[in-house]
Amino acid sequence: MDGLVIGIDLCNSYTHIACHKPERTWVIPTVVCKNKNQDEWYVDEEAYAHTLIGDGVIEDKLLTQVLKEGTATIGGIRYEGLYLLKMFLKKALELPGKEAGDVPIAGLVIAVSMLDVKLMDSLLYCADYLEIPRERVHIISHTESFVYYVMSQKREIWSNQVGMFDLADESLRYYEMKVQRGIRQMQVTAERQDLEETFHLDVLENMAGAKIADKILSSCAERILQKRLFSAVLLTGKGFESTDWAPEFMKQICSRRRVYVETSLFARGALMKALDYQQEKTAYPFTCICEGRLKATVSLKILNRDKEGQLVLAAAGDNWYEAKSTVDFVVTGAPELEFTIAPLDPKKKRLVKIPLKDFPRRPDRTTRIQLTLGFSDENTMVALIRDKGFGELFPATERMIKQEVIL
Amino acid sequence: MSLILCRHEPVKHPYFIERLGVHIMSSQELCYILYNHPLLAMDGFIDQALIQFIEEELDMPFLAGKLSAWKKGGEDPDEMIFIILQECYYYTSREVIKLRQKIGSYRKMNEAEFAKETADYYFRLKQYGAAIQCYEKILDSWRIKSLSDEFTAKIWHNIGASYAGIFWFGKALAAFDMAYNFDKKPETLKKIYQLTLLNPQLKLKERYQSAITERQQRQWELDLERVLADAGRGEAVREIRELFNQDPLKRTAGAEKLVTEWKRAYRKML
Repeated sequence: MDGLVIGIDLCNSYTHIACHKPERTWVIPTVVCKNKNQDEWYVDEEAYAHTLIGDGVIEDKLLTQVLKEGTATIGGIRYEGLYLLKMFLKKALELPGKEAGDVPIAGLVIAVSMLDVKLMDSLLYCADYLEIPRERVHIISHTESFVYYVMSQKREIWSNQVGMFDLADESLRYYEMKVQRGIRQMQVTAERQDLEETFHLDVLENMAGAKIADKILSSCAERILQKRLFSAVLLTGKGFESTDWAPEFMKQICSRRRVYVETSLFARGALMKALDYQQEKTAYPFTCICEGRLKATVSLKILNRDKEGQLVLAAAGDNWYEAKSTVDFVVTGAPELEFTIAPLDPKKKRLVKIPLKDFPRRPDRTTRIQLTLGFSDENTMVALIRDKGFGELFPATERMIKQEVIL
Repeated sequence: MSLILCRHEPVKHPYFIERLGVHIMSSQELCYILYNHPLLAMDGFIDQALIQFIEEELDMPFLAGKLSAWKKGGEDPDEMIFIILQECYYYTSREVIKLRQKIGSYRKMNEAEFAKETADYYFRLKQYGAAIQCYEKILDSWRIKSLSDEFTAKIWHNIGASYAGIFWFGKALAAFDMAYNFDKKPETLKKIYQLTLLNPQLKLKERYQSAITERQQRQWELDLERVLADAGRGEAVREIRELFNQDPLKRTAGAEKLVTEWKRAYRKML
């Protein structure tokens, strides 16, 4: 593989950048600083240095700014949140770039805690600005990143279920994954749970606070892990940079379990995924069912060489954001589209019909339609059906149907 | 209900079918034409230009090769229609068999019947020039003597209708005149009379003047007036009225487009 392969864990507070060749991880605050007097942008230590000197203005909470369409006025110029994120990513990617010696990016996987279409679109827009071809950029959830990190480890780590606590500023999350070996293919299911018992990491700075935090985590661990069997329990997030403050919690989780700490786990998982994209044949031959992946297969009834069949448009385990397809069909028989939604549980399989309402009436097989299928989230399919007519014989109209289907 | 998956066909130069005045840009459209216009398909439609279109534009070199080999071998040209239909899977096997039977029945017709069928087909397409040629060929044929009066009258009648379609009222009158000689139907007489109304320069022959009663004249005049009034209320006239209500720039552009369209349609009829 030629070029840099990078995995990024992009959060509102910190960003972890993991790189392969040179194998290194950078952890920088998700802030960007703009020089008041010239068009220069800084990240990491430089950003704080310029702010302290007084010639720079620092901007934080970049992801929130993008999602809420926030703006910042620096040196009399108004910058949109997206622009700030763009400049941050540009400067952040220069860190591995400089070390590798100005090589192009061959693969970039960005892991984010929440898969929001707006954020994902914005990240791809940033990739365009950075002149990284879109096919080299992928966005995954923290859950998926967790799966890839675990599955890249030795088999004994994932032979049973794997649990993980992620303790960051003002957020405490629990992840769990399980490998199911099927006859045809292995399936990995993973879930995330946002825990209510959150606290600010500042409390760890004094002994009393740390003790309370330890108690909170212990009770969480007891409630969640119970006496279940885990092949491994992982700890990640800034809160676990040190575990000295949580002796009770550590005792609890270490009892008959292997425990590992990896603070840049999401970036490492994203890097594993990015490296896998570089291979012709995947090193992870499993169906991944988790946040960001479809939980049902969507197919369409078609006629193929005189025989009825199903055309799979998106399969369970596909990345919903990337599962877009555009196909042309000629309609025969009743003017409607019949989708089959097949979740993992075969009993929940169902048919969804979309009638071609208000489409012009034409002889059979003289209506060509273009079906564009996409997903606005992992549970919502969006079908756009456009009338393409039948050449000059039956000219196309402007008729179009847009329908959302809950999977 | 079902959907037929369309293969990607990167057509950059659509194929023009002169007889129909349309361009086709997919294998589905080609199949539709073959299936719905068998007489056109049987009339040397699958030529080298179409085979080239199939190969280069539809990106179906295998099918094109098969057709070329068939053509070169001098085999039954009708079979090429089925080769295309079977390769494209646009019609079911049952429908292809049905078409095979239809084409077979055409081929079983005697020469005059088949020629009339072809001529009628061009007439339905409003290709009046081509239709007239076909009808006249039937009348010129050495088999003329074997044609029944009824059949001959129908041919002359259709020639008359074709000439009327291209506004050659004089020739239309002469053709209806011939038709009347064979069928003596008042319907034919009605058309002759109405042609003289449409073109006052045409004179009704004396023999018809005595054959048409005053009552018939009044009725046929009323019928024609009704038809003309209906036409005046038609969509085409409404569009022209709307066009002339627009500002001069749009009006001129619209009129130019309309006249070009009329010219194209008229040339196609010839």
